[in-house]
Amino acid sequence: MKLDVLSGIFWLVMAILVCMESARVDVGSFKSPGPGFLPFVAALILGGFGIVLVINAVLKKTRQDSTTNLWKGLGWHKVIIILASLIAYAILLPSVGYLVLTFALMLLLFGIIERPRFWVRLVTALITVLATYLVFYMWLNVQLPKGLIDF
Amino acid sequence: MDILHSLFYGFSICIQPDNLLFCFVGVLVGTLVGVLPGIGPIGAISILLPATFRMSPISAIIMLAGIYYGAMYGGSTTSILVNIPGEAASVVTCLDGYEMAKKGKAGSALGMAAFGSFIAGTLGLIGLVLFAAPLAAFGLKFGPPEYFGVILLGLSLVTYLSHGSVIKAIMMAAVGLILSCIGLDHIQASPRMTFNVMQLWDGIDMVPLAMGLFGVSEILVSVEEAAKPEILKTKIRNLFPTMADWMKAKGAIARGSILGFFMGVLPGGGATIASLLSYSVEKRISKEPETFGKGAIEGVAGPEAANNSATAGAFVPFLTLGIPPNVLMAVLFGALVMHGIRPGPFLLVKHPDVFWGLVSSMYVGNVMLLILNIPLIPLWVQVLRIPYRILFPLILLFCVIGSYSLKNSNFDVLVMITFGIIGYLFRKFDYEGAPLILAFVLGPILELNLRQSLILSKGDFSVFFVRPISAVAICVALLLLILPLVSFLVRLAKERSAGA
Repeated sequence: MKLDVLSGIFWLVMAILVCMESARVDVGSFKSPGPGFLPFVAALILGGFGIVLVINAVLKKTRQDSTTNLWKGLGWHKVIIILASLIAYAILLPSVGYLVLTFALMLLLFGIIERPRFWVRLVTALITVLATYLVFYMWLNVQLPKGLIDF
Repeated sequence: MDILHSLFYGFSICIQPDNLLFCFVGVLVGTLVGVLPGIGPIGAISILLPATFRMSPISAIIMLAGIYYGAMYGGSTTSILVNIPGEAASVVTCLDGYEMAKKGKAGSALGMAAFGSFIAGTLGLIGLVLFAAPLAAFGLKFGPPEYFGVILLGLSLVTYLSHGSVIKAIMMAAVGLILSCIGLDHIQASPRMTFNVMQLWDGIDMVPLAMGLFGVSEILVSVEEAAKPEILKTKIRNLFPTMADWMKAKGAIARGSILGFFMGVLPGGGATIASLLSYSVEKRISKEPETFGKGAIEGVAGPEAANNSATAGAFVPFLTLGIPPNVLMAVLFGALVMHGIRPGPFLLVKHPDVFWGLVSSMYVGNVMLLILNIPLIPLWVQVLRIPYRILFPLILLFCVIGSYSLKNSNFDVLVMITFGIIGYLFRKFDYEGAPLILAFVLGPILELNLRQSLILSKGDFSVFFVRPISAVAICVALLLLILPLVSFLVRLAKERSAGA
């Protein structure tokens, strides 16, 4: 399926859902707009132009990439690793704490593109954690979560 | 004389030691961000924004503005030496800058880019000072209908002047408006699209949205493509342009400065379009157009002057009318509001220290940038050699810390990651994030002015069309929105008649 057809349908579905939610909170009228007025109008524009996009894509005679070609020959698995590690980091941050979790994250991320020696990654991760702790916690007073280590 | 007194007042604020320091930090970070591909000024401003909460509003805006125009200086370094633009406004500098570097004239190219940017920045600031007071006075006549009309026009222009598909840009603006509605309604406090998630009652914060959409997504795409830029092995000498260089480039700098300033003022314009237009103009009027693309110094001087002058021009509608003309100004708008200061016609009256302090700091910042960029170019070349495998985790970490520190909540980090995924998919499916974030920032103001206008007129919609400013603005905005539909329908009719 052409990319624009797929994305156009996606936005059309989103627009319908937003219209339903807007109607739930009261759209009001042109004379007296309610809380749902602006999202409702925006969703109508989104859905309307989504339909235009789909029709435009169907009528276009030029071939367009399919979804599989978007990731062909690229390191998409690295993207998945990065996202998974960031999500885990965000969830565990309050309980595990900044120092331990950031060290683990940096150790992982420094080896994603290339794989330098383990001790190089270890030292770089350690320096990063200490330097950011000094800059953000000590100097800029950002309240980083302590977690397992009380600092 | 009033303007001179105000400028001296502004200088007295910006040369205070803490403001000078933050100006220096801002332009240094901006240059660094401009030099390094993979993070742009929007990402950098979003990352540093939470750190400014403990500063005074003047210091904060001085530093953040410094990042903006500093990035314009830094972006030319990678364009010339690596043929990869450090940021979008330096794309066109690659065409002739890199060719000059290949011919052993990297020093001339870098020097002309820096000096041209300084001259254009100075001229742009003169324009800002001259236009600001009259435009602010004009803005005092604005009521809710005028604000609604002008903001709608600004959004329409941004979508119409987008780089890619106008239809997709309009859709992204609509998505931005929808996202801006998440949270409690500003007038009736009804929860909208919160899905019983308490953290969404305050809405989505601009910082994690911007960081995810522009910062995280850029990193995901760069890691996936794993491109390794090669730095041109050339000796960088003679950073001061020769008399012959100046004679060739002086016209380009002057034209680029004027063109860039007005493109910066225009909503949807900005530094990128200014630099592209300047290059086209210089090539068109040149007596030797065949030299463009092969190392013409005008092809470096004009666009670099234009992009720097555009940054000064962009501050005109932002500070005087409270309407950010491009994405970066929208992020700065959010930053100022977070500090309790509302840009607009009353800024000059209520906070003259912020206005004149900022304007004066931009001149001081331009001087700092000239000093930083000329002798420190070998240092920036070394910075470019930092392996990306070290750089991208650091940028991600800064994004995470920046998002977390807003409210000490990991929810904002998850929001950032979500928009990082969305931004990454946007790149795949060829959607632009700029109209989305502009609409997101302007959405609440648009809605407030719409509802205020209708309350004032007791529900009479004609209030928007009987007042001349709002009438013209809304009509032009509707025309820009309808044009893509019309061209689509014409195309549809042609396809049908061809098929019949």
